[in-house]
Amino acid sequence: MTTLLEEQVQAKVDLPLLQNIHKAAALDEIYVPGHRTCAGCGPALAYRLTCKAAGQNSIFLGPTGCMYVANTSYLCVPWAVPWMHTQITDGGAVASGISAAYEARIRKGKYKGTFPNIYVFAGDGGSSDIGLQAASAMIYRDHDAIFVCYDNEQYANTGIQTSPQTPYGAWTTFTPPGPKIPEAKKLWPKDFARGMIALHPALQYVAAASISYPVDLMNKVRKCANVHGSALIHIQSICPKGWGIRSNQTLMVGKLAVETGMFHLFEYENREYTYQYQPKAFKPVTEYLKLQDRFAHLKPEHHAKIQEFVNQGLKRCGIKIPVEAV
Amino acid sequence: MAEQYKDKKEEILKETVKMTGYEDAGFDWKSEKRVGATKFLTGLGAVAHALKMADIDVASSYPIRPYTGAMMMLSQMAARGELDVEFVHGEGEHGQLGIAHGASAAGARAFTGSSGVGVMYAMEVYSPISGGRCPVQMLIGNRTLDPPGDFGSEHTDALSTRDQCWIMGWAHTPQEAFDNTLMYYRIGEDPRVYLPQMNCQDGYFITHIPMKVVVPTQEKVDKFLPPLSFPDALDPLNPLGHGPQLFPGQGHVLEATRVNAMMGAFPVIDEVVQSFNSIFETNYSPFVDLYRCEDAEYVLFISGGHAYTAKFAINHMREKGMKIGLVRPRFIRPWATDVLADILSKFKAIGVVETNNAFGAARQAGILTLEVATTLYQIPNKPVLTAFMGGLGGEVIRLDEFYYMGDVLAKAAKEGKTERTAYWIGFHNI
Repeated sequence: MTTLLEEQVQAKVDLPLLQNIHKAAALDEIYVPGHRTCAGCGPALAYRLTCKAAGQNSIFLGPTGCMYVANTSYLCVPWAVPWMHTQITDGGAVASGISAAYEARIRKGKYKGTFPNIYVFAGDGGSSDIGLQAASAMIYRDHDAIFVCYDNEQYANTGIQTSPQTPYGAWTTFTPPGPKIPEAKKLWPKDFARGMIALHPALQYVAAASISYPVDLMNKVRKCANVHGSALIHIQSICPKGWGIRSNQTLMVGKLAVETGMFHLFEYENREYTYQYQPKAFKPVTEYLKLQDRFAHLKPEHHAKIQEFVNQGLKRCGIKIPVEAV
Repeated sequence: MAEQYKDKKEEILKETVKMTGYEDAGFDWKSEKRVGATKFLTGLGAVAHALKMADIDVASSYPIRPYTGAMMMLSQMAARGELDVEFVHGEGEHGQLGIAHGASAAGARAFTGSSGVGVMYAMEVYSPISGGRCPVQMLIGNRTLDPPGDFGSEHTDALSTRDQCWIMGWAHTPQEAFDNTLMYYRIGEDPRVYLPQMNCQDGYFITHIPMKVVVPTQEKVDKFLPPLSFPDALDPLNPLGHGPQLFPGQGHVLEATRVNAMMGAFPVIDEVVQSFNSIFETNYSPFVDLYRCEDAEYVLFISGGHAYTAKFAINHMREKGMKIGLVRPRFIRPWATDVLADILSKFKAIGVVETNNAFGAARQAGILTLEVATTLYQIPNKPVLTAFMGGLGGEVIRLDEFYYMGDVLAKAAKEGKTERTAYWIGFHNI
């Protein structure tokens, strides 16, 4: 009997989509115990789901971030596939090099297996801030690799500092609220995934997913893997420590982000966007904000400002379900 | 000083014409019996030819003068189908090095290169590459750092990265640049070493001036340089992790393994250079090129392309009866302390020609003076040591300036002291 890996290295086959959570749960664990992430860690769950979907013919790259520091201890890494640390700056560049190496080695008869799926698992800083140049270059050159942005909306590894993905109004250790700056963070976040689509005409597949919707997330990972060329997936990954929630609230807060329109689940394929969450009505953002300590200092006018921002965002997506500020 | 050579102008001019290379250089390798196609190549052209024969798998480029020509030639070779290489256009030098890092970690023979401020932009990634023990090769065509924009050649760019655990050395002719390219891959890819290499050459003086290069047969190159075998390559069939976090108590141990790799390169360099000499019928000495040192009382210590001019100057000074020689290190990393201490202990005075600057450093000289002074520390009767700051901003070091250095050294050897720890060449008449 041949294993899935042996099948994959003999001839590259597309990864089939998963019909339900039972099929998903039955897949091999690639991200295994032996790490030191916090209780209720969203990024660790994002890693586990991504790895399960990815399978064994994979190489994972870990730019510096909490998913590097909390996961690895010398001589002990929690991946059953090859993994390599990259600088927080150059995940996309190293992935490009690995992809180019396999192109050349396979073409020149120096490697006998098939082309592996190469995943960069970068935080929001390693994707949309200091790692943006390398990520953009990898996608622009259309290397056969998958860029995963696990977005916990902050620099968490260094003790919660603001990143371009940190929402307006959030407390971080670099954006504390005070009499002069009552709303804490004053800037609006980057629209990372859509921005990358706008910048890179060669990009064939982009998805935004949430750990609270695991089957949707895993199928989006598999669609990324099946693309010949670059693909991008942006995963909202809740951080109980940085967001000020209890460790058993991770999945609930992730769901609320989607249900309030704070985070959109979408796919970009064949140059078209599709939205996976289209309810009869979105919940008011206050329901999402009031659960998290990082927004505890906000006044009603700040809530109203965020609600307006969310409504505009939904409108731009063509989802015409206005929500009244509460 | 230049006065006494005024009557030799014609002769100097003739010598200078000869130096452009159609004629044999006329010294150290005259006895060599190199066999192969004779080509007229710049330093960059020589490296590109060597890379083709080394069958590199991945090259990552980003344009900056003066090294860019090597990448232009590689891209032409790829376009003509002469070299099967993945040619990746980096998004900057930092990305270039990241690409080379990934390619090497995935088992490919990887090449990249840069110059000047570009070398500095990639600074973050040098240590991860050597720490990952990835045998990437990087060509550096030296260029003066900003500010302001200056196309000239100084070694400060490459020398600023000397402590990142890369094998590093300078070629002083295009032929040596060709040979070093092959030798460095073989050294860096040796299982006792597994380290990246910086293959340096002076911008313009070497990168852009064509000279005679004997290109050997592919058969001989294949005999010298086997395909890369990297057992720790990222491969789903053989999963392993590169670069996890350390706990206390592990850092110094890991650092020691990297030191061992660098120190372990000494016997490997010896072996590789001997093997090169026997296959290509050359007569390289592994670590140090000595020129007219047999009975020399004082020497110029000089790395890189200006050594070529210096050799002519030494010929002229020898005709005047001066007992001067030249010591040229072929490797800056690893630094051959014992070999150099043994050689340098024989002289009365040493002048380090610095084509770099180390602002505010000991002796107010350059980086090489620090290394030479440390090397001399173990010698009981220390020679007089001084430095000549020359070629800064990419200035040519002229023959008459080498004559001036010779005079300073002759006086120092006679008197057992020098007036200054560093002489600024071109400023000495002021």
